Amino acid sequence: MTWSATARGAHQPDNTAFTQQRLPAWQPLLSASIALPLFFCAGLAFIGLGLGLFYSSNGIKELEYDYTGNPGTGNCSACALADQDRAPPLRCSCSWYFSLPEFFPGPVYLYYELTNFYQNNRRYSVSRDDTQLSGLPSALRHPANECAPYQRRASGLPVAPCGAIANSLFNDSFSLWHQRQPGGPYVEVPLDRTGIAWWTDCHVKFRNPPLVNGSLALAFQGTAPPPNWPRPVYELSPDPNNTGFINQDFVVWMRTAALPTFRKLYARIRQGNYSTGLPRGAYLVNITYNYPVRAFGGHKLIVFSNISWMGGKNPFLGIAYLVVGSLCILMGFVMLVVYIRYQDQNDEDEDEE
Amino acid sequence: MLRFPQLYKITQNAEGFNTKVFWGHCINALVHSLILFWFPMKALEHDTALASGQATDYLFVGNIVYTYVVVTVCLKAGLETTAWTKFSHLAVWGSMLIWLVFFGIYSTIWPTIPIAPDMKGQATMVLSSAHFWLGLFLVPTACLMEDVAWRAAKHTCKKTLLEEVQELETKSRVMGKAMLRDSNGKRMNERDRLLKRLSRKTPPTLFRGGSIQQCVPHGYAFSQEEHGAVTQEEIVRAYDTTKKKSRKK
Repeated sequence: MTWSATARGAHQPDNTAFTQQRLPAWQPLLSASIALPLFFCAGLAFIGLGLGLFYSSNGIKELEYDYTGNPGTGNCSACALADQDRAPPLRCSCSWYFSLPEFFPGPVYLYYELTNFYQNNRRYSVSRDDTQLSGLPSALRHPANECAPYQRRASGLPVAPCGAIANSLFNDSFSLWHQRQPGGPYVEVPLDRTGIAWWTDCHVKFRNPPLVNGSLALAFQGTAPPPNWPRPVYELSPDPNNTGFINQDFVVWMRTAALPTFRKLYARIRQGNYSTGLPRGAYLVNITYNYPVRAFGGHKLIVFSNISWMGGKNPFLGIAYLVVGSLCILMGFVMLVVYIRYQDQNDEDEDEE
Repeated sequence: MLRFPQLYKITQNAEGFNTKVFWGHCINALVHSLILFWFPMKALEHDTALASGQATDYLFVGNIVYTYVVVTVCLKAGLETTAWTKFSHLAVWGSMLIWLVFFGIYSTIWPTIPIAPDMKGQATMVLSSAHFWLGLFLVPTACLMEDVAWRAAKHTCKKTLLEEVQELETKSRVMGKAMLRDSNGKRMNERDRLLKRLSRKTPPTLFRGGSIQQCVPHGYAFSQEEHGAVTQEEIVRAYDTTKKKSRKK
């Protein structure tokens, strides 16, 4: 019996490919003969990539020093002792002497690393006002409610910049000195403190409020700095292009990190004689120890690293590629065994007839 | 479906979606989640993932994880699809594309439109990071590797009726009605199938063109001349006598 479509009813659907489900379709049938070469190729490619990435990451040099100053760990313990529950005395400084046995290829990047500091705590990470930071005069004196309790000072003045993230700005500073000849004087290595924050941050997201009579201090009149800051925001740096909300250290700090152990860029060493790297010799890092971390069991570290196309030293991706590649090949072999056994079984079935 | 009414059994028995299948998918999803979160997390652990040496933030990690999730989910959905029409292609590749476009737009609208200040600049940094592209290659593959292997193994060993019919249809469309072997090289002419299938549970499926009758493997003797189940024309055409009979090795 065949159905004939001669009399079309009023509600009969159209006889198109779409309505009658006759669309051209590709029906992939994944069989072992397709999957096997795929697995082997992918496995080999991954292993190759993994080896490349692993060696590339191993070629990156890193040097770090924990200067928290726990008792018995070096010069900074004197500064740290003062910091039992409150901030250490202003401008306490300590030094780290080290020597490089061989040339440290550059350009060298200087990071500071904090541990046990949860910048990703939810209440902490929302405690900011981006409208205020974008320089709108109307928002400058009306910080958002999320910034509470760092929204207004006891005097009633609004806080600029408001919020817990801004309040906890990292304020240690470092300077690097190189002793060219043993026993000779130390020469300062110039640290490039520009370009350490994202371009969009410095130029779009963070903007100073418009100058009043050419003065930034007047623009911020009627606001107060956050409680933990020794100086107001317009005095963060003597350079007028790097002060106020667009100060690069401030911008870098406001980019909240993902994990409790994180690093932030402090400076690049790429000027003068040191643009290709740090030569061998004795070095000294002068640290101005301001930031209290021992109260919450954190550590402060200073890290020298060079950067490749892949970023800093992290062998994880290389290892992950190697592991996945090996698993691919293993699975390929398992499937090969399955395929051969199934073929044999198939042949036996056919031969039985 | 009219030719092979046994295909209805698949939905009647809920073979496509029952408790076992559901929990299998749930456990699969758990494993995928572990890979999708921990791989990017460990890869971006030290915050120095950019070639410019600048530090990254939590949204950087989050956007990367989310992109991998979108890609893995779309590909997994595509893997589960039995028939890819143009709408399937649109859904799978289109979803990935829409996410990227949205990501790009969402990362640039502040402060012109006062939303999403924290996303400003994310797209540029994520898409210019080598870790992102390397992980894009690795993470969805690591997730779906097991799925692909499982499907291929199942298809080779325990082929369902639906897959067999699909293969038959594909073969016939590609090579004409006289095709007598399926993708694994098994002989498919009527006599051999009848003999082989005698002891099996699934009833024999004989590929016949044109007819919309029930799948009856046999008719009365000489019924081909009396408009029976199998027409004379089909019997003649099923045996291509111009070819030598292929011998099994």
